[in-house]
Amino acid sequence: MLDETGIFDLISTSLLFWEMITFAILLVLVAYFVYPPIRDQIQKRQAEIEGAIDEAQKTREEARELLTEYRRQIEEARGEGRRILEDARKQADAQRERTKKEAREEGDRIVQRARDEIGRERESAIRDVRREVAGMVIQASEQVLGRTVDHDEHERLVAQALDDLEAEVAGASTGSGSRTA
Amino acid sequence: MSGLLTLGQLSPEKVREEIIHTFEAGQHAYVHLSLLGIDISITKAVAFLWIGAAVTFLLMFVGSRMLKNRPGAYQVIVEEIYGFGRNSLAGQMGEEGRKFFPYTLTLFVFLLVLNLIGLIPNSYPVTSSITFTLGLALLTFFITQFVGIQRNGLGGYVKAFVPPGLPLKIVFVPFMFFIEWISELSKPLTLAMRLYANILAGHLLIFIFLSFILYFGTYMAVISVPMALVLYAFEIFVAVLQAYIFAILTQVYIEIALFRQEH
Repeated sequence: MLDETGIFDLISTSLLFWEMITFAILLVLVAYFVYPPIRDQIQKRQAEIEGAIDEAQKTREEARELLTEYRRQIEEARGEGRRILEDARKQADAQRERTKKEAREEGDRIVQRARDEIGRERESAIRDVRREVAGMVIQASEQVLGRTVDHDEHERLVAQALDDLEAEVAGASTGSGSRTA
Repeated sequence: MSGLLTLGQLSPEKVREEIIHTFEAGQHAYVHLSLLGIDISITKAVAFLWIGAAVTFLLMFVGSRMLKNRPGAYQVIVEEIYGFGRNSLAGQMGEEGRKFFPYTLTLFVFLLVLNLIGLIPNSYPVTSSITFTLGLALLTFFITQFVGIQRNGLGGYVKAFVPPGLPLKIVFVPFMFFIEWISELSKPLTLAMRLYANILAGHLLIFIFLSFILYFGTYMAVISVPMALVLYAFEIFVAVLQAYIFAILTQVYIEIALFRQEH
């Protein structure tokens, strides 16, 4: 021993000897039992993470494709819907127009029928009234004259008077726009 | 109280002995052994060397046996140490240097554990022994030369010590070769001295501050103990730093030898 204090134990053969042996053993043990499992674990996790990232990218790609597909389908469906709606609207319009037209025609027909009926009724009423009036006038004339008047002649006169009256009435009513004409 | 006061009555020689005692204790042989006439006794230093090696191995081994896909705190530490060795220590100059990381990383953890164990009172700081640090430094030196020659070939490796394009080749080539070899030989020496001196000086400083109590008296403790505490904390930092420096320089030296011709 060069230095008895031990601070500068330059040649401590025992320490040097055991140091080399100990360090060699430690190195071998650590290199065989410690580093490989840690390396494998790290590599495994790295592979897993890379796999997960790839998977995520693939999934995202798929999702993007699906989204595009869905958008396209939605666009198609929307177009289809619009078209159906348009058709329905057109059909409805056509139907409405047809119904309206039919209704108008039916109404016109009803009105026309009513008019015809009214015209017929009026004609018949006028005929009745004339007949009645003529009868009554003849009767009154017979009573006033006290004799039988020529029936045919009389009737003619009455009809003429009535015609005149009628013409007068007609002339008066055209000014007020009568619909009975 | 009178017992405490007597602490201040120690002579300088006695105080010196008290300080040095820790390092002397390292030489104390538990078992006397001899191999071919060489002393290989189991001393306190050797015992703490083994304790350090055992702790180093167990710390790493336990960590490597409880590996899970979802790491816990301990696994993260072990994996970080591994990653530090593989990515931070190794590969300083080229990918090929990475294959030496098990050596440098083991060295780092081993030195760190020994440095820290040395801070425990009544233990022995193995890294404060020049024999120990020089041993590891020489090991590094031999590995360096071996891998350098192995990769570059003996001729290529030796030639690479002289930079190309020197004027006056007859003078400068031997001169540069000589200078470069001094630099090469100083590498293990500086490596060993740096670690040894830092750890020894740190411990001595702590002891010296505490020995003020023995020399000047109990009241000195007011200054000595806080100072020793501060130094102690600093020593923990030094323990980590020096282990790191030793390991990274070892790796750098190996890689310089590997890529001798490229640089």
